[in-house]
Amino acid sequence: MRGLRPRPLIGWAGLVLVAATAPLFLKEIELFTATRIVILALWATSLNLLLGQTGLVSFAHAAYFGVGAYTSALLWLHLGWSPLIGIPLSIPMGAVVAFVTGAFALRAARLYFSLLTLALSQLLFVGAFQWYSFTRGDNGIHGIEVPEFLYSIANSYWLVLAISVLGLVALRLIARSPFGAALLAIRENRQRASFIGINVKRYELAVFTIAGAFAALAGSLFAISNQEAFPNLLFWTANATPIFVILIGGMFRFGGPLIGAVVLVVLEETVTRETLYSNLVLGVILLAIVLLAPGGIEGIAERILGRVRGRREPPVGETAGPTPGDAQQGKREVRT
Amino acid sequence: MTPQDFVTQLLAGLTRAGLLFIVSAGLSLVFGAMRVINLAHGSLYMLGAFTASTVVATVGADIGLLPALVVAAAVAAGVGLAIETGILRRLYQKEHLLQLLATYAIVLIVADVVRYVWGVENRSVARPVGLRSSINVIGDPLPLYNLFIIVFALAIGGGLWFVVNRTGLGRDIRAAITDPEMLAGVGVNVSWLFTTVFMLGAALAGMAGAIVAPASAVGLGMDIDILVEAFAVTIIGGLGSIAGSLVGAAIVGIADSFGILLFPRLSLAVIFLAMAVVLAIRPSGLFGIPERV
Repeated sequence: MRGLRPRPLIGWAGLVLVAATAPLFLKEIELFTATRIVILALWATSLNLLLGQTGLVSFAHAAYFGVGAYTSALLWLHLGWSPLIGIPLSIPMGAVVAFVTGAFALRAARLYFSLLTLALSQLLFVGAFQWYSFTRGDNGIHGIEVPEFLYSIANSYWLVLAISVLGLVALRLIARSPFGAALLAIRENRQRASFIGINVKRYELAVFTIAGAFAALAGSLFAISNQEAFPNLLFWTANATPIFVILIGGMFRFGGPLIGAVVLVVLEETVTRETLYSNLVLGVILLAIVLLAPGGIEGIAERILGRVRGRREPPVGETAGPTPGDAQQGKREVRT
Repeated sequence: MTPQDFVTQLLAGLTRAGLLFIVSAGLSLVFGAMRVINLAHGSLYMLGAFTASTVVATVGADIGLLPALVVAAAVAAGVGLAIETGILRRLYQKEHLLQLLATYAIVLIVADVVRYVWGVENRSVARPVGLRSSINVIGDPLPLYNLFIIVFALAIGGGLWFVVNRTGLGRDIRAAITDPEMLAGVGVNVSWLFTTVFMLGAALAGMAGAIVAPASAVGLGMDIDILVEAFAVTIIGGLGSIAGSLVGAAIVGIADSFGILLFPRLSLAVIFLAMAVVLAIRPSGLFGIPERV
């Protein structure tokens, strides 16, 4: 696979530099928004490892985010530990929960897999929602005490940014590794992937576990920056946010979710301020993307750039349809 | 638990099951024939409930439910027609994810449209004149309206069975569940069939909304609430099977009502646990058809 080439590397470094200096030119309230964007970018990129790279549609990703948030929150609540310890601990916690639920859910494939993740994530939600003695139930856990240096929003932002950048670099290395290439092969054609010796189920479980671990990491950052954890983080409709982000940005490029996170959060902040009917606006935008530009913003940019540079259009960004060998394709040809 | 409690919970569970059956039968029918998971099914149900509240308020509570049922079903079917022809038809050749997302976008849009048209206040709908009292079942008062829901659900079930198994439309639907390609090959207009099936599913959702309106509060958020439960029903029973919906609805309805009594703290978990167990043993549900791979 392609390694980290120098030119994009400079681009990424520039991006990190801009992000790192943000507290120098942003107002405090804008830094809250920036923190949200960074956490969302990490969360959505981890989901995209499943969605864009492997072709798995999971409705349990919010649950793993919630597991991470509760890891930090519960360590503080029950043991009096600093919630910062939750950052490294959230990774194994998320991995274990994702592994167990994933092993169940991957007994089924495609749509039934999606529904199974929905069922299992609702179980986790109910655990957070109704187990009062352990999680404080639907009240949630608020006012988590963070170390004094995090009272400054800039410091809190820098901490979130530093860890998220590390997480994103790790995710990119995974996506670009031979393991990531095998995942792409599975997305394109499960049958052929298994013919060349890839144990599809095992790879899927591995990537499901990894993605869950990074989602939990993002969740622990949320618990620290927002100083709270509550059951609705795990509710299945919470998955809409990272899916939105991926779709807006484009699921077939690593940078897609990053762009999507910026666009979605800025959109939400402006739209919710302007109108009571923000869901309507988001719904219409989502619908427009699904119908007109399934490649998202990156896909559109790619197409325009491709035309300018006279490059061939990227194959993956265009064909959002079923892969060859998918029996449904044959059936659908008839309908049109 | 006394026998009295048992009967109370059983009847409450059956009432819930009746409602869940009407909702999930539509969801299941659409999935079976079209392979589309319609997340907006709950939105059509909510639309039906709000429509019914307006009709009953206009016509009057005494006989208002009858026209409300018809109008709610018609409105939902009309919206279903628009969704199928305007949006879903363009996505059949694309990935499942895009279909899921499109119907999710509709959930968001309908929720805000309903909020715009009817406002944020919960609405209550009066029961029709003959169904306001209760009867005694082994010393336990059963509201006649609950009995009506159960009977109505059974009638819908019978009607669906008749349509699917004894009519030309049903023959086409069964064929589409098995193999839409062959069906098109023998000259059936599959595109039109899909529109019909989707409208039928939508009408069932709208009708269920109208039925539930006099039994509980009509409010925002009922779309997501019912959707999760309807999913549980269809997942347990198996997507694409009417009989599965019936059995699934009975399991979920009864598990729900006994769960509240036996494990008040974990009542919600009972449903999802049942769902996870069924799926782990039979990934396509009790009566489900395995996915075409």
